[in-house]
Amino acid sequence: MSFAMFRVMVLDLWRDRPALVMTFLLPSVVFLIFSSVFSGATGIDVKLKVAIADVAHTPASARVLKAMLANPNLRVEVANPATREGVRQAVRSGHDDAGLVILTDPPAPGSPFLIFADPARAVAAPLTEARVDDTLADATPDVLLVRTLRDLSPAIGDLTPDQKQNVAEATQQAASDTKSVPKTAPTYLHEDVIGAKKGGASIVYYAGAVMILFALFAATHGALTLVDERRMGIADRILAGRAGIGPVVTGKLIFLIFQGTVQAAVIFATAQLVYGVDVSDHLWLWLVTTAAASVAAGGLALALVALCRTREQAQMFSTFVILIFSAVGGSMVPRFLMPPWLQDVGWWTPHAWVIEAYQDLLWRDAGPSDLYKPWFVLTLIGIAGFLVAQLAARRIRT
Amino acid sequence: MTPGPSGPILTANAVTHAYGPRQVLKGVSLEVRAGEIYALLGPNGAGKTTLVRTICGRLKPDGGEVRLVGRDPFSDGEARAALGLAPQALALYPQLTVAENLQAFASLAGVRRRSVPAAIAYAMKMTQTSERSGALVRHLSGGYQRRVNIAAAILAGPHLLVLDEPTVGVDLTARDAISEALRRLRGDGVGILLVTHDLEQAGDLADRVGFLRTGEKVLEGPPDALVDEAFGDKMDVQLDVGETNPELTAWLGGQGLSQEPSGGWSCLAPDGYVFGAQLAESLKAKGASVREVRVRRPTLAHLFARIAETKAAAA
Repeated sequence: MSFAMFRVMVLDLWRDRPALVMTFLLPSVVFLIFSSVFSGATGIDVKLKVAIADVAHTPASARVLKAMLANPNLRVEVANPATREGVRQAVRSGHDDAGLVILTDPPAPGSPFLIFADPARAVAAPLTEARVDDTLADATPDVLLVRTLRDLSPAIGDLTPDQKQNVAEATQQAASDTKSVPKTAPTYLHEDVIGAKKGGASIVYYAGAVMILFALFAATHGALTLVDERRMGIADRILAGRAGIGPVVTGKLIFLIFQGTVQAAVIFATAQLVYGVDVSDHLWLWLVTTAAASVAAGGLALALVALCRTREQAQMFSTFVILIFSAVGGSMVPRFLMPPWLQDVGWWTPHAWVIEAYQDLLWRDAGPSDLYKPWFVLTLIGIAGFLVAQLAARRIRT
Repeated sequence: MTPGPSGPILTANAVTHAYGPRQVLKGVSLEVRAGEIYALLGPNGAGKTTLVRTICGRLKPDGGEVRLVGRDPFSDGEARAALGLAPQALALYPQLTVAENLQAFASLAGVRRRSVPAAIAYAMKMTQTSERSGALVRHLSGGYQRRVNIAAAILAGPHLLVLDEPTVGVDLTARDAISEALRRLRGDGVGILLVTHDLEQAGDLADRVGFLRTGEKVLEGPPDALVDEAFGDKMDVQLDVGETNPELTAWLGGQGLSQEPSGGWSCLAPDGYVFGAQLAESLKAKGASVREVRVRRPTLAHLFARIAETKAAAA
């Protein structure tokens, strides 16, 4: 009996081509958009747009300006007008993320640079500062040398004439040939904990985030047939028979698990083809994770719909719950950017568990011993939802 | 088809039910036997739907009892297995073909997998729907969809078939096709409870009719017998005289005729053929044009109207 309902759901979706496309292709498109948007938001690849003006007009400031304009990690343009006020306006109007004014000769004492930033883009100021430091080190090491020696002089005292002569020569040499300056050892060493894996962490994150978001939306659409069948009299016909509504709800859950799994397969195939996320090497664990996520989505969707009496109620209620869960659970914004209390609340949504499970599996190469917890929680959510749906669906008997 | 039991398939005995303070059923009793079509008639709000819900096991009556093949349909799945329901709404999946729908409903009705093809063939034969078995339901005409709706209700070989307004919104040809299907099922021993407002179909088809009014059964019996009992030798005389004037209107009223919403005039009169002929002569003498005089036996519609009038008079 449940298989009969499964078959009905499959045929119904298969013959509704627009719904078919939206169910299986739309999530991949949204995933590609989300991953493109957010893969550059980790900080490393951010290319700020910076307005710049050189009001010092010295040879050194001209070199800094030229080096900044050539910096491949920034999108720098000279403000119009190239004045302090011109830069301020460019940032204030939102035309640029940050502004840099070269106030005085860079090697001269004092603060030669002024950075403008919009509080709405607070991260732009420290990022610009870091980029300027990098540029000074690479393009004008002589300037850095002079400034460093001046900073050190209170501690080390005046230089001897010979030392001054050496510094002057070194500075001149550095100004004419930046590559002649030997690189000092960096203070910090960097090491990625994951190593050189293909497919960024944010790609894996959003593959999971989009998967559970659309699994729930599509499952809700499928579960709405419960309400439609009531309205069309099909539930009356079935309830008048021996079996009752139980096998109908079970058949729908089986279909929703199948639908969620196929949907996830399309999304992760896209992730593998476009971004190189290594899904095929984790196929079996991925399949279990996906099945658990689909059980959670299917059970939850059936419960949300079965609790409502009309299609309108069900659509509004389920959309509300899905959007809240998606926001809190991390389908829209990465959870690590949320306040700690909200991150804790996120564990009450299937989204957080699904996203973490996929990240553990595909980014951190976790094994079954690490994944059993999300599998258990997601399956539990699905079973609980399914039981609620069964009880609520029986309510329509009378 | 499993033959029905010799006794009544359905027995409702003094069934009462109330929704809050509103008493909807006030001790209704009826029986449907194998191979019998029983038409349940009554105006909106008479309690037909509530009675059907108790028969289908969807509602436990406050009082009295309902028995389907001797069992309680509310608590006993085996009782409900003896029932097929064709709801008023088209309870079909529009995106599926006729055959796919029947296959799905056969499985959902608990028909064993190997028996499904035979069940579908039987249902299609009874409702004459095999010729379009591969067509999507949404592409079928309203009348054809109604037949498929009935086919889906008989897949499990029910002893009792409950039809809720099976001819609503269909044309005469489709209605005849549905009537033929119901006659075939009756001939096959299926008991049929036909809930309808289509008095003409009920009169043509039903072996017995029952009138419900405000939760009570006020009349029951074979349609012809009920009409004969109510109207005796009176005939329904109908007159179309086209345009009338106040003088003619007054004269027609004086002859016992009343004007219908359609503009025609009618009355129930003994010796109707003679009365009709006399009316036509008199009208000709008055210079009125007589377009048509129809004389026919009263029908269930007249009986229904009389019951409604009685109710209005009582109110």
